[in-house]
Amino acid sequence: MSLFADRHILVTGSTRGLGYAAALKFLEEAASVVIHGRNMKGVEATASALARQHPGRVRGIAADLADRKAQDHLAAESGEIDVLVNCAGVFRDQLLQHAGESDWRDMIEVNVTAPWRLSRALLPVMRRRQGVIVNVGSDAALLGYAGSAAYCASKGALAGLTRALATELAPEVRALCVCPGPIDTDMMRESVASHPDPAAARRLWESYPLLGRIADPAEIAEAILFAASPACTFQTGALIIVDGGATAGRRP
Amino acid sequence: MLSFDYRGKSVLVTGAGRGLGFAMARAFLEAGARVFVNDRNAELVRAAIARLPPCDRLVPAPADLSTPDGAANAVAPALAAGELHVLINNAAVNVEKSIEETSDEHWDQHLAVVLGAPFFTAKAALPLLRVSRGCIINIASELGLHAIPNNIAYVSAKHGVLALTRALAIELAPSHIRVNALCPGTMDTELMRQCAQDSGDADAYYRSFRAYHPLGRLAAPEEIADFVLCLASPAAAFMTGSSIVIDGGSTAGRL
Repeated sequence: MSLFADRHILVTGSTRGLGYAAALKFLEEAASVVIHGRNMKGVEATASALARQHPGRVRGIAADLADRKAQDHLAAESGEIDVLVNCAGVFRDQLLQHAGESDWRDMIEVNVTAPWRLSRALLPVMRRRQGVIVNVGSDAALLGYAGSAAYCASKGALAGLTRALATELAPEVRALCVCPGPIDTDMMRESVASHPDPAAARRLWESYPLLGRIADPAEIAEAILFAASPACTFQTGALIIVDGGATAGRRP
Repeated sequence: MLSFDYRGKSVLVTGAGRGLGFAMARAFLEAGARVFVNDRNAELVRAAIARLPPCDRLVPAPADLSTPDGAANAVAPALAAGELHVLINNAAVNVEKSIEETSDEHWDQHLAVVLGAPFFTAKAALPLLRVSRGCIINIASELGLHAIPNNIAYVSAKHGVLALTRALAIELAPSHIRVNALCPGTMDTELMRQCAQDSGDADAYYRSFRAYHPLGRLAAPEEIADFVLCLASPAAAFMTGSSIVIDGGSTAGRL
């Protein structure tokens, strides 16, 4: 298979979780991939492991996306990119009365502003190369979750960003927003572990999708790959909901 | 015209200096409410109050909402009065720029005022709204539901407002606080008239906006304000987490 031969892809937040699953699949489809993570050690470990299987097609760049200089550094170092996958995200549970300024700032900065600033920086290249921007949103853009107002606001804004990018950049660049439901990642496990009753918290997450379970990251990565692929020719500005039915309705 | 009785109720309207905010402040005042009038400085608030009938139910609440401290300052007069039933998050900025022209400063200001302010103002007002079992109305926009070119920061922030509204509605429902969003289409405001003049061809400017709305006209701020009075009243007691569209048909389809 070589759906992405000669295509250069930046996947933010790809040292683990969903971003890693997507990077792996892009590599299996012959793409060249920039692995990105917050710290150099994690990036080097992931990139060198992947490079052993896919020599010459993996690079790693470390950048803390809460920091604008680091965002600029990531964009500048990424070079000629065909597909930008904005996957890095911050999720912090917090009731409104306890909401802190720095948590709000981090979630808005990493979940919305970094995708915006990376898109803007890579735009000249992507216009020329008929690129694709895939933003990883969330069902939280469409469903309200108690204790997650800042996260929901950031993912809703990311959906809006996607539509605005698509509106203004068509037909050269397509922009899509893949909206997953709960996924079995470190982000999910950390959130569950911090709950007073972790087993109950996990059962609650499992109860949201009609399919009655949490997604494997690879299942969502499939949707990201399709959105980014040359097979996806007539889709732009869309929210691609991959949530096991969480937004469709409730189970009895 | 429906009439609603807000005697004995307190309402905070952010961005009440002009346009829809001013129309809402006037409508709540005429319905008997005490109105906390917010805009970004004392002079704008004073000017707005001077255009309304003299009344001791008008309380200045000037504050620049681009920071969390500013949001707290806007709520401070209500906290001092010990009462708030309705919070209207209306303040916004909207400057049209292409993607390439959208600077960090422009982006940050739109995200802070359009999306951050409703969050932090709601947080500051929460103790009072718990007591009153009150409601929050976030004035979003049809651009919370679809996009147009050259408005990326505003479109992103307004989409965020709708998601924020749903999350707060779910979180605050057990406290009997309702949270809804309103998505108006284009209104014929002072700002609109100014933009039309600045465009060099006011008639063409207005024609393009009229054509955009299937009803063939712009909304009057007063008709949106009347609907807000309904939404904040017991008539809408079972509504929460809604995004109510009032846009002359512009998000429904294309003529």
